[in-house]
Amino acid sequence: MRDWGFRAILSGVLGLSLLASACGSSGGGSPSTTGKPIASQMILGGPPECPQRPFCEKGLMDKYGLTFKDFKPLDAGGPLTKAALDRGDIQIGLLFSSDGSIAAKGYVVLNDDKHLQNADNVVPVGRQAALKADATALLNQIDGKLTTADLAGMNKSADIDKQDPAQIASDYLKKIGVSTSGGSGKGKITVAGFNFSESSIMAQIYGQALKGLGYDVSYKLNLGNREVVEPALEKGDIDLYPGYAATELEFINKGKGEATPDPAATVKLLNGYLQAKGLIALDASGAQDQNAFAVTKATADKWHLVNLSDLAKNG
Amino acid sequence: MTIFGQVVQWFADPAHWDGSFGIPNRLWEHVQMSFLATLTAAVLALPVGVVLGHYGRGGNLAINISNVGRAVPSFGILVIAVQLFGIGAPPAFIALVALAVPPIVTNAYVGMRDVDPELKEAARGLGMREHVALLRVEMPVALPVIMAGIRTAGVQVVATATLAAVVAWGGLGRYIVDGFAQRDDVQIFAGAILVAALAMLAELALAGLQWLATPRPMRASIRWFSRPMRTDELVLQGG
Amino acid sequence: MDATDPWIRWDWLGRHTDVIWQALLQHIQLTAIAVVGGLLVAVPVGLVVWRWRALRNPVLSVAGVLYTIPSLALFALLVPFTGLTIVTAEVGLISYTILILVRNIVVGLDGVPAEIREAATGMGYRPARRLLTIDIPLALPVIMAGVRLATVTTIGLVTVTALLGEGGLGQLILSGLIQDFKTPLVVGAAGSVVLAVVADVLLAGAQRLATPWRGGR
Repeated sequence: MRDWGFRAILSGVLGLSLLASACGSSGGGSPSTTGKPIASQMILGGPPECPQRPFCEKGLMDKYGLTFKDFKPLDAGGPLTKAALDRGDIQIGLLFSSDGSIAAKGYVVLNDDKHLQNADNVVPVGRQAALKADATALLNQIDGKLTTADLAGMNKSADIDKQDPAQIASDYLKKIGVSTSGGSGKGKITVAGFNFSESSIMAQIYGQALKGLGYDVSYKLNLGNREVVEPALEKGDIDLYPGYAATELEFINKGKGEATPDPAATVKLLNGYLQAKGLIALDASGAQDQNAFAVTKATADKWHLVNLSDLAKNG
Repeated sequence: MTIFGQVVQWFADPAHWDGSFGIPNRLWEHVQMSFLATLTAAVLALPVGVVLGHYGRGGNLAINISNVGRAVPSFGILVIAVQLFGIGAPPAFIALVALAVPPIVTNAYVGMRDVDPELKEAARGLGMREHVALLRVEMPVALPVIMAGIRTAGVQVVATATLAAVVAWGGLGRYIVDGFAQRDDVQIFAGAILVAALAMLAELALAGLQWLATPRPMRASIRWFSRPMRTDELVLQGG
Repeated sequence: MDATDPWIRWDWLGRHTDVIWQALLQHIQLTAIAVVGGLLVAVPVGLVVWRWRALRNPVLSVAGVLYTIPSLALFALLVPFTGLTIVTAEVGLISYTILILVRNIVVGLDGVPAEIREAATGMGYRPARRLLTIDIPLALPVIMAGVRLATVTTIGLVTVTALLGEGGLGQLILSGLIQDFKTPLVVGAAGSVVLAVVADVLLAGAQRLATPWRGGR
């Protein structure tokens, strides 16, 4: 190689890269410091919107007074969060209470002893113009039959048995005696789902039931989180999605703290906000899925964790 | 205030320059990963391409490996890497190396193939042994084309490292992915600007390196801001 | 991550041929719109840039620089304005195809030997006729190469649009990520590669048909 300039740069580049890899790889866990709140020694993992959500990190800060060492954006209670928990990249992660694999993986869900979470019952949220009387009646009927145990079972089929959400949904509808096929031409409905399996399953349940009534149903699954899906509903890009009553309310009212453990009351308040936008929330189901903050058994044993408020203690 | 004004404010906010979510940390993550991945790919791919090109073997494979490599979706490779290696930096690194190898191999091969045979004969005639001729005669002549391949690979790595934020890695792509999730248009826009700026900087830096590696007489004839032409001539013109 | 999940569950494949087919169709549709739309813009722009030499270097340099913008960043720049829609996806995809095609059109037309063009003018060809019957046909190999490159590149980029709610085969990759499920992931990724290779081969064949005087390549 002839050019001195080139040789100099190449050497510099090699030297920098060695330096870089030396510096970069020395980062790691710091030894736990006793006498500080346990939370400040833990990294919290959850979906990217968690820090601003009243039932997520923001709520943990406001209601429990917890400040974590750091936050790692992962996914909505999905495989990335679980992998991070298993690897120790995070010490506490956001999962969902109806997740079928929590028990299987031996995670410990910390008790919500200060009742941060409220009535996160499944509720269909849609555009009034798209939901006619027969659709509304059928969706309410399904909600009346759906239980939390049903949700947990269906989630398990999806996450552990890798069954297809569409298949799980049609099996469930068959079980409760709702038809999934019936003519067409009643109108178009686009059903959306959030970016986790349970939402895909619920969207399929609603969508296939509506198809049974004769609607032309299309799906936009794994569309994103509420920050993405709700505006899409307002704009009319989608017509319906399966929501969770308390979180929907606190999203719409910008975190005013109006949600209660009573699903019907929460939905009533929710509709107060939705009507003006031409939207409507139907009847809440008995099935609930709330945010659950989980740690590995090892972590729980290490710091004797049972309740979320234990994280505020010094350890 | 327009979104542009808000973006300026976002950059002016000192909170965005601090901590693990701050611009310096994300920038460092991104640069470090891109640099190491490209370097590793070069270390792995150059010997293969150079040797194949020197002996004139495996021509079809070397040329087509780049075409197939271009067809592989980076999003798919990242997710497959996570399935194989878990989350964090390792899958991102391995996926990036895998994506960077094809253009480097192809360009190294073509660069070495295009060395004038008379030059090689002359070196032999001077009594140079084969490996000496390879290192001190052929490779310098092939260097511009080899560097073009490294340039293509480097820019592609910077781009794909942005996507790695979707599989729980960090880097500048974090601002875009988190911004999508939080519906924070300002963060999305600011992240996009940061990523685009870094990509252009990388392209310029690598183009500069390529310029330095090009023997002076050949510098004028290379199109510096070009992009690939035919799929099989892609190697020659600096892209 | 899930060690018990095999890389391909053939029974899943069998039960989801319609899902896979829909994803494939959407993928082809998104690609076709991007390439055809790109051509519609790139041909006039390329002709203008080719004719007015002063525009040549600035336009091609800017295009080369814009091409380095990572796709996720480009989509991200559009989202605040056009939302999570197919419009955002297509505007982003078309931007890249335009950049590739303009360059190839200009370089291709440049490659037409000056003697041939002068001979045609000498034979009384008016500019429009010369353009259509001499310049463009002779530039066709390079232009077609650009179409091939644009198509293969776009097929890869379409998978990223899964993050915008589109995605084609990318939707399968995304659901594989969210469900920690290898089969749709493999089908989506491999399908995308196969589609790109098939498209490249078909376009290469079309290129040969359109330029029979060039002999085999």
